[in-house]
Amino acid sequence: MTSEPMQEVEKFILGRNPELDHITRDLDLIDSRAINSLAFVEFIFLLEELTQEMIDPEEVDLDDFRTLDALEARFFKKESA
Amino acid sequence: MAVRGIEPVVLELDRLENLAESGYYNPYTMFDWPDAIEPDLPWMSESLVTLAGTPMWDELSREQQIALTRYEAINFFSLNIHGIRELMSEVVMRIHERTYADVSEFLHHFIGEENEHMWFFAQFCLRYGGKLYPAQPTLKAGSVDHLSPVARELIVFARILIFEEIVDFYNARMATDQSLPHIAREINRVHHQDESRHVAFGRMIFTNLLEQVAKRDPAEVPVVADYLEQYLQYSIGTLYNPAAYRDAGIPDALALRRQALEHPARKEAHDEVLKRTRRFLAKSGLETEASK
Repeated sequence: MTSEPMQEVEKFILGRNPELDHITRDLDLIDSRAINSLAFVEFIFLLEELTQEMIDPEEVDLDDFRTLDALEARFFKKESA
Repeated sequence: MAVRGIEPVVLELDRLENLAESGYYNPYTMFDWPDAIEPDLPWMSESLVTLAGTPMWDELSREQQIALTRYEAINFFSLNIHGIRELMSEVVMRIHERTYADVSEFLHHFIGEENEHMWFFAQFCLRYGGKLYPAQPTLKAGSVDHLSPVARELIVFARILIFEEIVDFYNARMATDQSLPHIAREINRVHHQDESRHVAFGRMIFTNLLEQVAKRDPAEVPVVADYLEQYLQYSIGTLYNPAAYRDAGIPDALALRRQALEHPARKEAHDEVLKRTRRFLAKSGLETEASK
């Protein structure tokens, strides 16, 4: 079952990609440009708001943002544990 | 630098080059930097802060309001610095390419002036704010890599133009705002003066490259239009920096940012900032839903 913050994440991505009707868990969000460089800042702010933790722009590891699975593992595991 | 498939850019730039030469000044000596700024003055026009026109502004104490004008001025100047770094690096990589040989004389003025602007913006931030805000993270994977080389060139210069036009909206207003400290007004005034030439050049090179894109593959034009509309929205978003809200002592910075960006008064303000640019893009044939 998709956790509530992950639903927000999906909502954000789908809202910016009207041509997508769903996102598979392993879709590469960056290579597919579902999250492009213009959306990335807003996406970081969304994650910060959902996790209540700041993300250091200089410590960003793109692999944490590549798929829904990677995002959940990096940002939301603690909540679902 | 991949500029294959692009015809040489030839523009009539004599007037702009003459103006750049006759208006040349020494930025390192022309400003009279005070040791400190009067404590009760705003650093950014109150009508231009990101909460202007909303109840969120009215709910702040006067101290928070003044603090927000200060941190948003530091954010605005920091955005200028990061924007200049990006555009300078793009232009430097092209200045002696064959495609740009005819405009390289003006590009030398352009780079020189931009470097000077970056210096005085940084002086202000570091002298009075003690810092710059860092650049926002970006993705190295380009969102326009799938476009043709000439469309990518168009986007490089379109981003520069849009950045300059947005900044100039703010500079033009703050240049004459008597409520601001003299040094803040001066920086905005001098920048506005130089940017009028850069915007004129930016529109000329944009038009040239857009014609090349349309000639090569008209189907790329709406794709470019959509990208640039996203870039306009992105640029507006960078003005709303949660770090500035936090520094001004305002709680729940991220929620506040989200609410402010969605507030009708702010949407109206964004349309006002972007009006001139959207009109130019639409006139050039890049109309999007938002520009209608």
